[in-house]
Amino acid sequence: MSKVDDTKHVAADGQEKVPTASETGGPIILFFMIGLALSLVVGWVIFPKLLYSQKKQPIDFNHVQHMELVDDGCESCHFFRDDGSFSGAPTLAQCIDCHEEVQSDTENEIRFVEEYVQKNREVPWLVYSKQPQCVYFSHVAHVKMGNMDCVTCHGHIGESTELPVYEQNRISLYSRNIWGKNIGGFKKNTWDRMKMDDCAECHVKEGVRQASVQTGKGGCFVCHK
Amino acid sequence: MKIDRRSFLALSVGGTVGTALTPLPWKIQDDLAIWTQMWPWTPDPLDGENTFTHTVSTLCRGGCGVTVRKVGDRVVKIEGREDYPTNQGGVCNLCASGMQMLYGPTRIPHPIKRVGDRGAGQWARISWEEALSMVAEQLGEIRQAGQPETVACLSSRKYGSVAELLKRFLTAYGSPNFMVTPSMMDAYDMTLKRMHGVDGRMGFDLENADYVLSFGSGLIEGWGNTAYMIHTNSVWKERKATVKQIEPRLSNTAAKSDQWIPVTPGTEAILALGIAYVIIKESLYDYDFVNNFSTGFEEFRSAVLSGYSPGNVAKQTGVDQSTIVTLAREFARARRPMALCGRGQGTVPGGLGESVAVHALNALVGNINRPGGVWAMPRPAVDGWAAPALDASAQAGLAKPRLDGAGSAAFPFAEQLFNRVPEALATGSPYPLKALFVYEANPLFSTPGAAKVREAFDQIPFIVSFASHMDETAMAADLILPNHAHLERWEDVPDTSGFHQPMIGLVQPVVEPIRDTMHTGDALLRLAAALGGTMAASMPWENYKACLQEGLASRWSQLEADGFWIDNRYRPDTWSLAFPTPSGKFDFGVAGSDLKALFAPAQPEGDDGSYNLKLIPYDSVRIPNGPVGSPPFLVKIVSDTVLKGNDLFVEVNPETAKAAGFVEGDHAVLKTPLGSATVRVHLSDGLMPGLVAIPRGLGHTAFDGYLAEKGINANDLIGSVEDAASGLDAAWGILASLVKA
Amino acid sequence: MKHTGNIGKPKRYGMVIDLDKCTGCGTCMVACMAENNVPFKKDESNKLDSITWLRVYRLTNGKPYPDNEVCYLPRPCQHCAGKHEGHSPCVSVCPATATDYDQETGIVSQIYTRCFGCRYCMAACPYHARYFNWWDPVWPKGMEKALNPNVSARMRGIVEKCSFCFHRYQKAMEKAHMEGRRELEEDEYQTACTQACPAGAITFGDLNNPEHKVHQIAQPDPAKGGRPRNPKVFRLLEELETNPKVYYLSSREWVQEACHKPHLLDQKTAHH
Repeated sequence: MSKVDDTKHVAADGQEKVPTASETGGPIILFFMIGLALSLVVGWVIFPKLLYSQKKQPIDFNHVQHMELVDDGCESCHFFRDDGSFSGAPTLAQCIDCHEEVQSDTENEIRFVEEYVQKNREVPWLVYSKQPQCVYFSHVAHVKMGNMDCVTCHGHIGESTELPVYEQNRISLYSRNIWGKNIGGFKKNTWDRMKMDDCAECHVKEGVRQASVQTGKGGCFVCHK
Repeated sequence: MKIDRRSFLALSVGGTVGTALTPLPWKIQDDLAIWTQMWPWTPDPLDGENTFTHTVSTLCRGGCGVTVRKVGDRVVKIEGREDYPTNQGGVCNLCASGMQMLYGPTRIPHPIKRVGDRGAGQWARISWEEALSMVAEQLGEIRQAGQPETVACLSSRKYGSVAELLKRFLTAYGSPNFMVTPSMMDAYDMTLKRMHGVDGRMGFDLENADYVLSFGSGLIEGWGNTAYMIHTNSVWKERKATVKQIEPRLSNTAAKSDQWIPVTPGTEAILALGIAYVIIKESLYDYDFVNNFSTGFEEFRSAVLSGYSPGNVAKQTGVDQSTIVTLAREFARARRPMALCGRGQGTVPGGLGESVAVHALNALVGNINRPGGVWAMPRPAVDGWAAPALDASAQAGLAKPRLDGAGSAAFPFAEQLFNRVPEALATGSPYPLKALFVYEANPLFSTPGAAKVREAFDQIPFIVSFASHMDETAMAADLILPNHAHLERWEDVPDTSGFHQPMIGLVQPVVEPIRDTMHTGDALLRLAAALGGTMAASMPWENYKACLQEGLASRWSQLEADGFWIDNRYRPDTWSLAFPTPSGKFDFGVAGSDLKALFAPAQPEGDDGSYNLKLIPYDSVRIPNGPVGSPPFLVKIVSDTVLKGNDLFVEVNPETAKAAGFVEGDHAVLKTPLGSATVRVHLSDGLMPGLVAIPRGLGHTAFDGYLAEKGINANDLIGSVEDAASGLDAAWGILASLVKA
Repeated sequence: MKHTGNIGKPKRYGMVIDLDKCTGCGTCMVACMAENNVPFKKDESNKLDSITWLRVYRLTNGKPYPDNEVCYLPRPCQHCAGKHEGHSPCVSVCPATATDYDQETGIVSQIYTRCFGCRYCMAACPYHARYFNWWDPVWPKGMEKALNPNVSARMRGIVEKCSFCFHRYQKAMEKAHMEGRRELEEDEYQTACTQACPAGAITFGDLNNPEHKVHQIAQPDPAKGGRPRNPKVFRLLEELETNPKVYYLSSREWVQEACHKPHLLDQKTAHH
């Protein structure tokens, strides 16, 4: 509030005006609100867009269509090897069984056959649930011994007709699926997040190897390598 | 409305409160925390399917049977094969580092020809067609000129189909000059021929021996088949067998033996004869064998009794009389005693006299062709091929004497004497060489007196190397036709390192060749085809694998199924049938030969009175000194009392060092008649006074920064000494001086 | 399969190293480095900064020629249990919870991403079994292909050490799980050094399991902090009561005595 303003008021009304709360506080609250609103927009809307880069999978994939053709559900393609290791994303060798030649007229499949099958190149799939190098995760321990299903951690990806955009954190370089879609880190479903706390939460509940001397909780080498 | 200070503050406060209500600060904090743990520049190896493939690793001399672990198409680990007859699950340190040989940057990626001066390292990439036609053209010209004998080949392997193919190539071409890098097996082969009359190889039934007298053999340091010998050593411990180690230095073998008997270097044969003296004098020898199955014993007996009394021997060897007597009695009274020779890893054959003297001990106690004894073995043969076709020019070439004099009247028992080649080339007698093939050998580094070999190689106008890694000899070549790495190829590896059962291991490709290389066998077949005529007719196979399969015809199915072939039931002939000498008996003396001269110790070269010390080389199991240069893992495990930075330590007895004014770590100039080098001094209580010990295998000038320029090459300081009786290199070391740097 | 051994109870994985058989060839070191992605520099001759999870020391009896004797002593992490399980010298001092003691296996773990490089653990370890990464590891071009995906690569500024090839336990467990088992056979989990040793000098297994060879050789006495009851067997620096899980066997008295000397593994006295 400047002095000049005050003088003008006095001249017009001939008496000293007492500023009301709305006249002084109004702009302050307004500015406060603007700041609040802007930062909320930045924090909830713009920040996540900036934080994650969006990457498209090299080839789209229709899980639903493939699920109709296989007998053994997810394990038809994402299977366990005899040594207990998990095969993860299928390799070209598996796809070639059916896709040696183009099966349909979809542009996607034609591109797959031309770019990868014929050139004998592996598809560089972007793995949504890829954990950092320090993490050891045993699928067989969870699926065979823990009787967990795929959905518990991976959600309903098997019911998708196209692959979601792969979002990568520009700072940590992790896939967004590790922190979860919700930028606030809130999870509604078990598959919404894949952070260490999420592993630990379940391990505490199930009493998995609570063998650490330091923490009294899970031993480090249970999930790390 | 204007923005004054207060509204700006309000905006900021609002912004702060708002930001706190968003995930931004917490998320960034978390991501930054992760970021501090993320090192995107450190590699994150891809996981994949694990597969395990059996093959034989050819890096070490013996050949380790290995199981290679692959993840996807990457080789990540090489482990000993559990059911392999020799190493039995263990593996040697070199073969365990094999991934580094496969993927290392010293691999030669494609054929190259020299464009600058020799050894300058300037190369041009050429195609395989171009490379092979270059060789074919040169060989064609030489043959045209009627000088096929001037083409020679040096291989580190004597047996197996690739060595046989090289030999066959030369034979069909018309050259008698197939040479193999020298080893103790040359001396053993000669001994076998002389004393048993057998054209074969020596086998040692080591595990069943209960008393081992080793004349300087590095039994657990690379003598024979490294991993098998270490395994055998453990068997000896379990069975409480006795090992006595005779050598001037406390090697690992000496350290693990039951008794270390320091001996003046070069006098091992004398000690063996001193022991023989006691055995004969006290009538401790095996009467049945000596009286009924041997000849020449009287000559041997009189030679021994006339000059090798314990007193006499003690003076020359530095071993107490009482020790000599004790050793003799223990040896003769043991149930299955065995005497062995071949210093260190046996890279220098030693004189024939040594080998004969030591083997005579085995004969005295009758431990020949018996369990726990020394066995005469057949040579491994590639017997499925038809004889090569020879045209007139081949026959004329083959009629010429060998360049190295092996098989001549002077050296009738010798098969090859590569140590004599530098001299032959220097004098141009009997003829100069026009071209040389080098297969998996690195003579410019690993031959004693390496400087002379370098000079000799300068006389050869055309050197073709089949090296897969850029070693010193490849550096000096004119053309390199790089072979597949050991994990990328087919090959057969007959065990010729002294194993007592005939055995062949099969090298099988574990990965597709990762570079533009070619199997040397295939390169030879294509060369022969290009040369045409009887050359092409002698090598008619479509590819090396077909040739391998045909060569091992009778054993191929087992090789293919099991990865190795072994004759488990092999037993050597009994005494009455074992010795195809003229007399049909084991020959102690070799009629007519001068035993005194045979047993005379080799005299070191260049004795001008200015040297007060003796320099002996030693072989470390952690430092390969043959055709393969140490991969980084092996350089890493070299002790800091051997190598510090690029400085090499030589071992000196503390007393000797004190007399010369040296303390631990001092720099010194080590001088020998061959040259001098700056070294550092390591005081060792495990070395006889008056000696300096230097490790073999360091001081490379080729390879990369993980190996090159580290230490000095013992072969630059120690040369070879020709054994008059055999032509073999009999050097045990050299005279030297050590002065402050 | 019939088991009378150690089922459903905590394991105490440990080793017995037969020093009579060990020849000092160094294959164990190579196997360890290859298995565990241990980096290498162009100059590894300064053994203070040369990372070797398993190091073979050269001990001598100190006597002059010709009575000098030498013994080789491979030293992995000793996986100390301390006075009570988990009171390992390093675990007690780690401020970052980067190193931990696992009650179910007895293995001292090291999580590289957790470590911030204070090196308290190195100061605390009486066996010099821990190594600091002064530099980022660099593999010569092409050689990174040989890296093992089961062990994470390390980076500068952190401490690393022998894990008893714990990833091999993880892999063995995966196979067992695949077959519906929760217990491992003795030969299913073996460290890389044990497997590679051409002398068969290293024995590895569960010290708590009377069926395992390590138990039979070492005969650990649980009442006395795991002290061996076999008179030929001993542990390094037993007096410190670190209760290590690596036992040694030697028939030579001077070796047994040397292994009780506090400066046993010091840089100045032992050559590698």
